[in-house]
Parts: sequence; C-alpha cells; structure tokens
Amino acid sequence: MIAGGKARGEVLKISEPLSFLGGVDGSTGEVRVGSGGNVAGKILVFPSGKGSTVGSFVMYDLMVHGKQPAAVINESAETIVATGAVISSIPMVDSIPSIGMFCDGDTVAVDADAGTIEIEGVQCRVCVSSAIVRGGKVLMLKRPERCRSFPGRWSLVSGKVEEGESLESAARREIAEETRIEAGIPSKSLPAVYVREGNTLWEVHPFRFDISGGDPVLNDENEDFRWVLPGEVSSMNTVDGTSEVISKLIGRSHPI
Amino acid sequence: MDLTKAEEAILNGEQGEGRQKAMELVTALGKIYGAESLIDITSAHLSGASYKTIGDGGLKYLEDMVSGGAKVSVPSTLNPVGMDRERWKEMHISEHFAGKQLRIIDLYGRMGIRTTCSCTPYTGANVPRFGDHVAWAESSALSFVNSYIGARTNREGGPGALAAAILGKTANYGLHLDENRKPTAVIDADIDGSVFSHSLLGQAYGMLKGKGVPYFRGIKPGIEEAKALSAAMAASGSVALYHVEGTTPEAGRFDVSELEAIPIGKKELEDAYSKLNVADDIELIAIGCPHLTEKEMHDIASFLRGKKKVRDDIEIWFCTSAEVRARCPEDVRIMEQFGKVLADTCMVVAPIEGVFSRTGTNSAKAGNYLPTLCSQKAMCRDISALLGVVM
Repeated sequence: MIAGGKARGEVLKISEPLSFLGGVDGSTGEVRVGSGGNVAGKILVFPSGKGSTVGSFVMYDLMVHGKQPAAVINESAETIVATGAVISSIPMVDSIPSIGMFCDGDTVAVDADAGTIEIEGVQCRVCVSSAIVRGGKVLMLKRPERCRSFPGRWSLVSGKVEEGESLESAARREIAEETRIEAGIPSKSLPAVYVREGNTLWEVHPFRFDISGGDPVLNDENEDFRWVLPGEVSSMNTVDGTSEVISKLIGRSHPI
Repeated sequence: MDLTKAEEAILNGEQGEGRQKAMELVTALGKIYGAESLIDITSAHLSGASYKTIGDGGLKYLEDMVSGGAKVSVPSTLNPVGMDRERWKEMHISEHFAGKQLRIIDLYGRMGIRTTCSCTPYTGANVPRFGDHVAWAESSALSFVNSYIGARTNREGGPGALAAAILGKTANYGLHLDENRKPTAVIDADIDGSVFSHSLLGQAYGMLKGKGVPYFRGIKPGIEEAKALSAAMAASGSVALYHVEGTTPEAGRFDVSELEAIPIGKKELEDAYSKLNVADDIELIAIGCPHLTEKEMHDIASFLRGKKKVRDDIEIWFCTSAEVRARCPEDVRIMEQFGKVLADTCMVVAPIEGVFSRTGTNSAKAGNYLPTLCSQKAMCRDISALLGVVM
C-alpha cells in the first residue's frame, strides 16, 4: 500500500508508463495519451509513473476539480505518482504482478489499507505451463477448436493444478498426460504471470524442462505439435503471454 | 518500516492533519525505496516554487498545507521563482502570473521557509556540514552538497522535501547509507579546467552513462566548477553524487582500482557541445544557471568593464540570488549597462516561452531544459563567447 483508503469503480487501463504532466488534463481528467478516456472516478491502472515531478501537482489539481481517479493501481510505484496519490488522498496499491490481469471496464474493489484488490465477477484459476526444450528448440502444442480455453491456439504444455498438488508435480503430470514425455527435474521456473481470458484470470506458473528423448505422443487435448526455435514463436498464433514466457525461460532469438 | 512511538503518533494524526499528511508521504516514499526507518535531518531545500512549474494544482496544495497549520521544523530554503519580485514587469511577466507567484512565495514564507529563492543556497543561506543528513530537492544543489560538502541527501521531489522539512525527518535509504555512496565508474577527464569545460564534462557523462556515482580523476574543481559539473550531470543524467580524487571529502574512502575507467576528453566534449547547440542566432542571453556566485559576478563585471554592447536586439539576463546581488553593487552597476541583473529567478523557471524563442546560455543544465520546459532553441557557449555575440 502506498496511500490508504477504499474505493470501488470501473477500470481505466493505460498500458504505458504515465506522466501526469502532459498525459492527463488537471482540470477535466481527460487522458491525452494511449486510447484516451477520463480518469475521474475510475480505478486507474498503469504500469508506473514517469516524467516531470510536477505530475504530483497535476494529481492534486484533479482532486481540487473533483476529477481524481477513485484509486490508482501500479505494478511498481515511483516518487511522482506516489507523492501525488498521498497528497491528494487517492488510495494507491503497488507491487501487483502485472496490469495484464485487468481489462478496461472491469469493476474493481480496492482496499488499500488491507492491500487487497478484487476484480468482481472474475475467477482466478491456477495453472502450470512448461517449455520442453530439446536441441535448442521448444515444443509447441496446438489446441483443437473445440477446446474451451484459447481454442485453435499454439501453447506450451499447460494445464490446471489439481487440489493438493504441488506446482512442479502438476507440471510433470500434464507433460506425461499430454505428451508421454518423462520430464524429470525442471531446469528453470518463473514467478507467476497473469493472463486474462474473459471472466477467467489465469495464474500461470512457467517451468522449463530440458530433455534429450524423442517426439511427443499426443492425447486428445492437442491436435498437433511442432519443435520451433524460440525466435519463431512470436509469429505463431499462441495463447496470450506465451512469447514473453518463452523469452524469459529460454531467450528469444538465439539457439540454446 | 520501523517507526518510533512518536512517529506513529504523528501518523495517527495526534499532531494535526498537516504533520499527519507529511508523515504519510515520507513513509510512503520510504516504503517504495525500502527504507527501514526514518532519520533526523538538519536542513531542507525545496523545489516547486515557480508558478510556471507547479501551476494551480501546486498553488492549491500550498494553500491547503498552510491552512492545515504546516510549519517547517528545520532551517529550510526555497528554489528560484518565476520572476524577480521587484523587476517582473521588465521580464515581460503578466499581472496574472505575478499575482499567483507572489502568493506562492507568501505561502512558503508562512510555513517558516526562508524565501530568498536560489538554487545555490549552499553559498550562503543554507550550508550543510560534512556528514549531515538533509532533505534537498533541486537536482544541482543536492548533487553539490552530497559531493562537494559530503552531506547526505537523496533526490527529493518538492512535496517530499517539504514533508521532510515539516517533520525534521526523512526516510533512511539511498544516499543516506554508506553502501550507496561508493563510486560506480572512474572517469579520466581531459579538459581545459574552465568552468564551461566542467559543464561539458558533466553533459558528456550524462550522455554516456546517465546515472551512477562517477569518480573523477584529472580535474580540480573549485566551487564554481563543481556547481557547473553538478548541474550538468543532474540535468543530462540523474547523477546525485560524484567524487573527485584529491578534492571532494569522501573520495579518499574508496578503492577504485577494480572499477571500469572511462576517458572523457576532446571528442566527448565536442559531442556534448553539439548536442547543446541548436540555435545559431539568439534573442536572449541568460547567464546564471545555477545562480551566479560573487566570484562569477566579479569575473563578469571585469570582463565587461570598458566594453560596449552593440546588439540592441539581444536582451541579457544575469541571474543570481537577492543576497549576492545586494553584496555586489559595483559589479551590478557595470552589468546593468549590458542587461538586467535579476534576483531569485532564472531563464528555466520564468515563463520566457511566448516572449523569446531562441536563447543563449553558458549552462549545460539550461541547455537541456530550455528546449523542453521553455520551448527554446538553445545556444550554449562559455560566458565570454556568449557575451561576445552582443559586442
């Protein structure tokens, strides 16, 4: 928590770091960057602040004109926006893993004192997603069109974590079920990334397993597989966030 | 963060809303930067003084702080404002702007802040001692007191520094701690030693590295040179602390033998110079960023003595503090034959946009900010070359 208080409202998301000076009109609340909108009464979500320190006073000006956001949510707080939020009594929460968990129009309840954020009507599901790496290439699986989640897209070996199961054993189980590959010990894991799909918020735990064996034997959850170079992934129609996860697990352009 | 009982009480509002707000801000900033506790400060220096930069939002904030009973509890000084309090009409300032500006100064005064308004308070009005913890805004001044004096401050913003001044405390992180004052690179400087070459050296470092704690070898800056170097590196980069071998008080503490050594010489200075020089014709010459010291006033007056200004189409501003202007009446008399000696303001925080469009300066800091904050095309040369333009 950066600045205390409670608020509930509709999300306005700005995907780039925001300078309040130049980025938001202090007397009307109009946003002059990105896809626009008005911050007044909104749960304003953006990665972090940037730009002139005068931005703190633009936030104060918004408050004076009654056009301030109901709350501010940042991935990482910096001095300018934090100062503006505190002096203008705007509840502010930082250190959220990713603004990707929010969509414009979501109704969000923020309790900055308790440090909680609730996206109303959205359910969080925990899953694992594993990059199987062999000879510099990563295994991609294609989901059939009848699949309920991200139909027709390419993905890593992914699946939901079952009740009482550890993340790592869930990853190994999914690999065994979907590819019959024996995965062993993961060579790398990452903190969770968050992917929104309608009213579902996927909390995805990425793993990397290096293998030397043969090709996968698919079950009916996937209809095709390919071994691809990490750099090729961005040109495929993948599940949201896959390319970023692979570049963090493996590196984007170079063979391993 | 570990707060004492007394600090908790302030946070809970037991000493009024003004001090509660101040504590909320200092602790919020401390949290962002991982501070474990607060630390007592001996002085503060505040930015956010010009109506041009803080606008109506800032003015209302100050009104609310004053009506909330906010008072500073350590000696505190203020940055330059948007105009000379007596000579604002000569600066082409509107009545509207002047009214708002005078109100801002009055509000700072009511909170107990000394309202001689300068970016070089370390030459007289506010001089920290070695090892003092302070809360200073104004990037050039805080870098000077960190580096040349060995006081300790982070790069505070205006409201953060004001909150610290009210409490007499700031969050203990960053440059308040020994481990963050270590040099990060050695710079082997090859420059001619003039004040202007220190400006270009700072500009070049900012362009090359942007941040960090440089450790300079090959220079021996006095106050004026260090002032120029501090200002340039804080504007072209975000440097808040540097060391100079054999000159600055902390330099001897460090073993730099393992650090990367980067040469900065003729070529890098030329790159810095061309970056700062966009205009080839000017309407205003503005000297004194940061504010001129007494020595610089004497030097300029001696340079000008016996010379004549022939270019009447170019206006000249010499910017300094009211204190320095009052101490140098004979220099002021000579300088006034060429331009205006303005007190407690400067070309960056005054609303010169709309009046001028091309400005010459000797300051790398102003050279960085004139295009962005004042919509100017800038020329940046040493003082004699600059004043040579009008002769």
